Amino acid sequence: MSIMEYNGGSVIAMVGKDCVAIASDLRLGNQALTVATNFEKIFPVTDRIYIGLPGLATDVTTLRERFRYRVNMYTIKESRTIEPSTFAHLVSSTLYERRFGPYFIEPIIAGLERNPATGELSPYIAGADLIGCLNFAKDFVVAGTASDKLFGVAEGLWEPGLEPEDLFETISQTLLNAVDRDAYSGWGAIVHVITKDKVISRTLKGRMD
Amino acid sequence: FSGRTTVFSPEGSLYQIEYAMEAISHAGTVLGVLAKDGIVLAAEKKVTGKLLDLSVEKEGSYGGSGEKIFLLNSNVVAGVAGYTADATSLINYARSAAQQHLLSYNEDIPVELLAQRLCDLKQGYTQFGGLRPFGVSLLYAGHDPHYQFQLYHSDPSGNYSGWKATCIGANSGTAQSLLKQEYKDDISVEDAIGLVLRTMSKTMDSTTLGSEKLEFSTLTLDSTTKQPKAKIYRPTEIDALLQKHGLAKKDEDTEMAAA
Repeated sequence: MSIMEYNGGSVIAMVGKDCVAIASDLRLGNQALTVATNFEKIFPVTDRIYIGLPGLATDVTTLRERFRYRVNMYTIKESRTIEPSTFAHLVSSTLYERRFGPYFIEPIIAGLERNPATGELSPYIAGADLIGCLNFAKDFVVAGTASDKLFGVAEGLWEPGLEPEDLFETISQTLLNAVDRDAYSGWGAIVHVITKDKVISRTLKGRMD
Repeated sequence: FSGRTTVFSPEGSLYQIEYAMEAISHAGTVLGVLAKDGIVLAAEKKVTGKLLDLSVEKEGSYGGSGEKIFLLNSNVVAGVAGYTADATSLINYARSAAQQHLLSYNEDIPVELLAQRLCDLKQGYTQFGGLRPFGVSLLYAGHDPHYQFQLYHSDPSGNYSGWKATCIGANSGTAQSLLKQEYKDDISVEDAIGLVLRTMSKTMDSTTLGSEKLEFSTLTLDSTTKQPKAKIYRPTEIDALLQKHGLAKKDEDTEMAAA
């Protein structure tokens, strides 16, 4: 029995044209027994940054609260909101602090990065392992019990330059079909599409098994 | 006199604390007024001048020059009087304390608790370690669901008390008596703003009352979300407010032209 598989759950993030999407399942299990079908693993950090935390459920809550602490301190001291790339490094250092007794989470970060010179927003995604090694992918990042399946489907379905509506369809199909092949993920899904004006969150109708 | 903070004087007082309060009596005035729907906090800046780089003040999303008025948490604003470096250290401590409470209890720290945290720290410096006390007095303006809007004052001894209207720093005695006369229990934020600006103009040199010398903030409740909303005014907003209350600097050239 692996600690990373105890509660189950998966998260994926994808890059589109001037937008990003992040999606997860909603299952919370106690090994094989499904205990909840409304366990959200993706949380807003700022208006333009979302973080997905798949893994051990207690660490999901704890890490979310720790990041809230650190981002609040950052915001209040710097008098500005944190950028995705800076936040990703904050995630990395928070995880590495516990190098020899880690949080059992592999975070996924998705957001829109502001260019300080031009003020333009560009899509940003990153993933990390449980001790903070960052992965700055240009296309998609995956994590959780269905990560292998997510890699496979995403590699097949993803293409660059997808508009928000198309990105939504692509990430939804990727998530749904990947988690259907994993016993520990599924039981509902939620997708957040982040564009420069707004964030649209939709719950998906999937197989409830 | 005794060089050690932790030793009583023959009169039964602690010299270092009295000297700290003496330092504060020379610092820029900070004024706070509690209204039924919010709190107003204003302060006189001492660090001014043409060569001062104020670009942070113009662009920073929380306002304030980093000298007198600071945001401690989304529900508490503080005004400081005394040694600025000591104040910055206390502000950082307060911000961490507020986040620590949020981490443990998942709620915004109650205003009085935050004041207590700082006061416990300050008191420690009067009894242990042989280190000098913080030369800072603070006014805390905050809101919590338990006691709604509150205004507290703490001093270097580590003592604090709750106030309806109070003043610290230079000319605080004068300002305090002015407030005692004019303050009404059911005052609104709008009227409190006027009261604060008028009192500030009397305690400061009113011909130079402008955004370079004044820091201004309000704490109210957002009408839709019902969450505390702290606003530290930007220099342009302060000038506009002074215009509105007829306290803006008189422009001599215009007056000549009119005559």
